[in-house]
Amino acid sequence: MTSIQDRNDLVVIANAAKPSPEILPIDRPDGAAQVWLYSGIFWMSVTMLIGVVEAVKLFYPEFLQGVPALAYGRLRPVHINIGLFGFMSMGYLGATFYMVPRLTQTPLFSERLGSLTAWFWNFNLLAGCLGIMMGFSKGKEYTEIPFPFDMTIGILVIAIAGNLFSTITLRQERRVYVSLWYILLAIIPFPIYYTLGNASKFSGIEDAIINWFYSHNLFGIWLTTLGLATLYYIVPKQVNKPLYSHTISFVGFWTLAAFYPWNGGHHVIWGPVPMWVMTASVTASIAMFIPTCATMINFGGTAWGTWEIMKRDIGYRFSLMAYACYVGASLWGTVLAVMSLNAKLHFTNMTIAHVHLGFLGFGVPGLIAFTYFYLERSLKLKYSQNLATWHFWLTMVGIIGYVVSMGISGWMEGTAWEAGGSPQGTMLDKYPYHVARAISGLIVMAGQFLFVANVYQTVNYPIDLSTATDPLEKSGVTS
Amino acid sequence: MRYISVFPIVVILSILFGSAFTGLVIAPGVASDVVRSPSVGLVAYSPTEANGRKIYAREGCVYCHSQQVRNVKADENLVAAFGAAKAGDYFYDLPHFLGTSRQGPDLSNEGRVWRRDIGAPARDYLIGHFINPRQYNPNSIMPAFDYLSTQELSDLTDYIQSLGAWKDAVKSVASSPTLTTGS
Repeated sequence: MTSIQDRNDLVVIANAAKPSPEILPIDRPDGAAQVWLYSGIFWMSVTMLIGVVEAVKLFYPEFLQGVPALAYGRLRPVHINIGLFGFMSMGYLGATFYMVPRLTQTPLFSERLGSLTAWFWNFNLLAGCLGIMMGFSKGKEYTEIPFPFDMTIGILVIAIAGNLFSTITLRQERRVYVSLWYILLAIIPFPIYYTLGNASKFSGIEDAIINWFYSHNLFGIWLTTLGLATLYYIVPKQVNKPLYSHTISFVGFWTLAAFYPWNGGHHVIWGPVPMWVMTASVTASIAMFIPTCATMINFGGTAWGTWEIMKRDIGYRFSLMAYACYVGASLWGTVLAVMSLNAKLHFTNMTIAHVHLGFLGFGVPGLIAFTYFYLERSLKLKYSQNLATWHFWLTMVGIIGYVVSMGISGWMEGTAWEAGGSPQGTMLDKYPYHVARAISGLIVMAGQFLFVANVYQTVNYPIDLSTATDPLEKSGVTS
Repeated sequence: MRYISVFPIVVILSILFGSAFTGLVIAPGVASDVVRSPSVGLVAYSPTEANGRKIYAREGCVYCHSQQVRNVKADENLVAAFGAAKAGDYFYDLPHFLGTSRQGPDLSNEGRVWRRDIGAPARDYLIGHFINPRQYNPNSIMPAFDYLSTQELSDLTDYIQSLGAWKDAVKSVASSPTLTTGS
């Protein structure tokens, strides 16, 4: 174990140190990782902003009324698709493009291809989302991006997977660290279920089953795997000790790979689907307890006794937040798949609380942890500790506020419906929770603003004592 | 676990993913008649209803309105009034609008609430409600679809009135004297 973690940066950095005149800026090491990562941070801010707008619309529906492109029903798919394909996919692919060369001790197969796919992905996603806002949505959850932009994403992933897979095949380090297993799981089946989910023309219930098979794989074996790969990579480095147990991570990985792809059907529990689809998916969802526990024990063991590091390293705090929320969201998902609870809580805000614990609690802090890690350990830049501390607490308060307000409101809805109430009847009771949710969202956004400012400042105006000048003089204000 | 090569990992992952693919994608289509045949009496969408359906998709109605009644306690009233949903009810739905959230009410039987035979009052209510929901329910958080054209509102209304309407027709045929006299 120790050798992988310790020797990680050697070859890549040695390669980077060799000045080569014919290297174009686009080919520099980590060039692709940077484009992906910064794009991910950009889209993370955008999706949060849209999320806050929607949250306001849910208690004050006249907000921004009259602009069709900004209607709730059009913004919500944009929020989701930017969250999935912008923020999560791009940000964690940034982390992947950073990790793969280091874990394989091999330069990326093609930095140029990596950067170009990132830029293409950005414009493609923008076009797709404008398409949705203009009314070209395909109308099915998670497949809204209209043709041809949906298919372009599939083709881009093939190019990305080829790039990463070639790097892994050409690797110098023969041992395969657990992060690479997760990355392999993420990049191999994606084109299959993505194409299936977006291009299939089934109808009715078959369409629904396939829709959920596709979208749950998107969360489970695309985003979760990339997120876990990132955590498995950065946490041992942040605490400066090896992973607690490789055997447990082995168990966690293979059980996740075995059970996650079966989870899709749990979106239609009690729905008009064949009983065995429900049974298989409920079983698999409950079996997800095993990989979740494995991850919990493994990271818990690694993080045990790292109080001192937690106090000083904000990035590490975000890792722990992501870890806690991952375990929480996964166990919660398992609980929500229990048929009796699903009967009460399906269709309520509880689903929204669960999803946001996953994305806002695991996805956001995980990417932030990686970004702080990247700034500090790779670029050797010192970010503002003060801003980062504020960022941490704002994010923490925002996430708790969001999940708690939606969780309570979901439980209330379920209780009211079981007592014979209707969604219209609970509208007034939900009002304060909808307001609380919007405020929580605003708090997260405020933290995100500090984060973006911090990253921008750190990267563009690095603190270098040897060339320090008066900032006013530099900007020409004093002359 | 010192030298794991990539190839066996890829093979085992493919088998695991392939089994789930077989179970959740291929099997429902191949092995289940329930999934691939329409319910008795189900009527295909007329051109205006189909167009209304497109507007329903475009405006994202599905994010707040489910179209499935489940046989559970939370849906007890809906089951009592309309019956639980069956797979065949969705035969003509492309894309499906089963939904995941109920910010608003379930719509799968809306055509049996605002029935076509009520005539103008039902249509006027639905269209007026699309244009300004808060005129009818001050607590509603539904967006106002005042930007839809008259034709679009009419098509959307046709679609909403078609939801579940065929079930009433089936019921009245089943209980009509010509068919039940023999029994």
